Amino acid sequence: MSAREVVLSYEGGRWRARGAGLDLVHGELRGLEALIEARFAAEHAPVDVQLKFDTAALPRWLQQYHGHYCNYTLHVPRRGRPA
Amino acid sequence: MSTNRRWSSGMFATEDWWSVWIGLAIFAASLLALAGVDLVGWMARPRPWEWTNVASEFAWSKLFSPAGASYATWDALASWLTTYVVFTFLFSIGAYFLRLDVRRFAFGFSVLFVITWVAWVAGNELHLTMVDATVDGRNRYDEAALSWGLQLGEGAPYLLALFAGLALGNFAKGFAATFAEAAKPEWYIKTAIVFLGVNLGAQTMDASGFAVELILTGAAATFVAYLFFWPIVYALARRVFGFKRDAAAVLASGISVCGVSAAIATAGAIRAKPVIPVTISMVVVIFAMIELIVLPGFYTAFFPDQPIVNGAALGMTVKTDGADAAAGALLDELMIARNLQLTGGQWQAGWILSASLLTKIWIDVFIGVWAFLLAILWIKKVEKRGDAVSVGAMEIWFRFPKFVLGYFFAWFVYLAIAWGWPHLAATLDTGTAVVQSPMRTMLFMLTFVAMGAITDFSKLKGMGRVAALYGIALVVVIAPIAYAVAYLFHRGLTPPLAGP
Repeated sequence: MSAREVVLSYEGGRWRARGAGLDLVHGELRGLEALIEARFAAEHAPVDVQLKFDTAALPRWLQQYHGHYCNYTLHVPRRGRPA
Repeated sequence: MSTNRRWSSGMFATEDWWSVWIGLAIFAASLLALAGVDLVGWMARPRPWEWTNVASEFAWSKLFSPAGASYATWDALASWLTTYVVFTFLFSIGAYFLRLDVRRFAFGFSVLFVITWVAWVAGNELHLTMVDATVDGRNRYDEAALSWGLQLGEGAPYLLALFAGLALGNFAKGFAATFAEAAKPEWYIKTAIVFLGVNLGAQTMDASGFAVELILTGAAATFVAYLFFWPIVYALARRVFGFKRDAAAVLASGISVCGVSAAIATAGAIRAKPVIPVTISMVVVIFAMIELIVLPGFYTAFFPDQPIVNGAALGMTVKTDGADAAAGALLDELMIARNLQLTGGQWQAGWILSASLLTKIWIDVFIGVWAFLLAILWIKKVEKRGDAVSVGAMEIWFRFPKFVLGYFFAWFVYLAIAWGWPHLAATLDTGTAVVQSPMRTMLFMLTFVAMGAITDFSKLKGMGRVAALYGIALVVVIAPIAYAVAYLFHRGLTPPLAGP
């Protein structure tokens, strides 16, 4: 199982994933995850995609309040196998 | 871009960590007193003054003077300028690593510093502070021949600083914008909290049983409060106000746990859009200010004989570290002055603040665990995607408030020295006294001004439903339950009396 790291941010009302050769946007997080899964399932699956939230994407005034958003891992299976 | 990847992520890139570095650096400098070197005594400290006396024959030394005995011969203005230069320099180093505009930060800090000192010095005028009470056969109010007085004790400078900040933030927004780069109340208060670790060390030496009891009961009270607050506020948000599940969860954490950071942590845990915690955080910050203005005076007026209960209740009720510590400091001073008025007994300063702070610190520590558990619960039970998504336990560490490490480290170091080398304990107390009192108080004052300046009440416009939920939850759920839980654990406890 290989692993990839993608930086997640929220810009202009849309989720954005950058890194590991990707630059994807979607209005919903589940939709963005589906796009990521589709890209990796074709070439690299099974793969763990680590999504690291970019805290700099939070408003500046908010950052002094310890604004850690959750990081998480998306497990992308081989095509044809249920998630 | 700023992401948390390793355990060491953010060590030089967050206010949280920089409060530890600055706090411990100054603490380390003060420890050189053990080798006979006073590196912190240049700190200026306001003096009690009476305006007719100062007006008749003005001298800066009547308003403030160096805090350390070895700097007693220094000119008052030299002491003040050294204080300004050292703190501006230290926080500007931090600002550089935080990628702030250092020039704008240094200018903003300078403006903030001057406003803070004007409020601090003005707030030490005897007509504001002096309490009419006889202690050990002396009545200093009568000795000063005062014809009137507000008798606010050391709470007067805090109130002046708070109202100065609020006035600027709401009625002089253009001017407040000139120092906005340095209006970082969370940074200043977290540095002050590291200094309070030194204070807790000294308190523990005076009354170790009481300090340990405060720490343990604070943890227990926090745990009990968690069990009640979150589910009740979540149900209120869902059933009465009709918020969606994700907004209700973020609201429940923001309103009932620890404010802004809890709202952000929860939003991340349930993978809500960041716009939700951002909106809620704006309301949290404003309500924290309202709590700060109302609760210390309320508790002092209605429960003057329950100092530790009041402190712990504040810790569970007031959100954001800055507002809680500021409210705790204000309550500490107001309660001491009130008790002096009522009984003639003077409680030691700092214990009520410690009760408030220790309760809040436990809440801060547990939010990481809570967010982690909520993330797992949300993925497995709500989204039902347990096989597709996972969250690592490292999230608990990323969310852990690092200033707490500085607070407990300072406490442990103080105790280790005092218990390991008892013959050095008196020197240790004297050497760190400047850190424990004027330095810590100045950072609290900076916090009051900065917090007031960034609190813009006009932002409540258009927040009707969230603000209504917050107000109802605060008055009906959180404040009463917090007080009941605090009463259960701390009733009857009072701080030790100050020595003559």
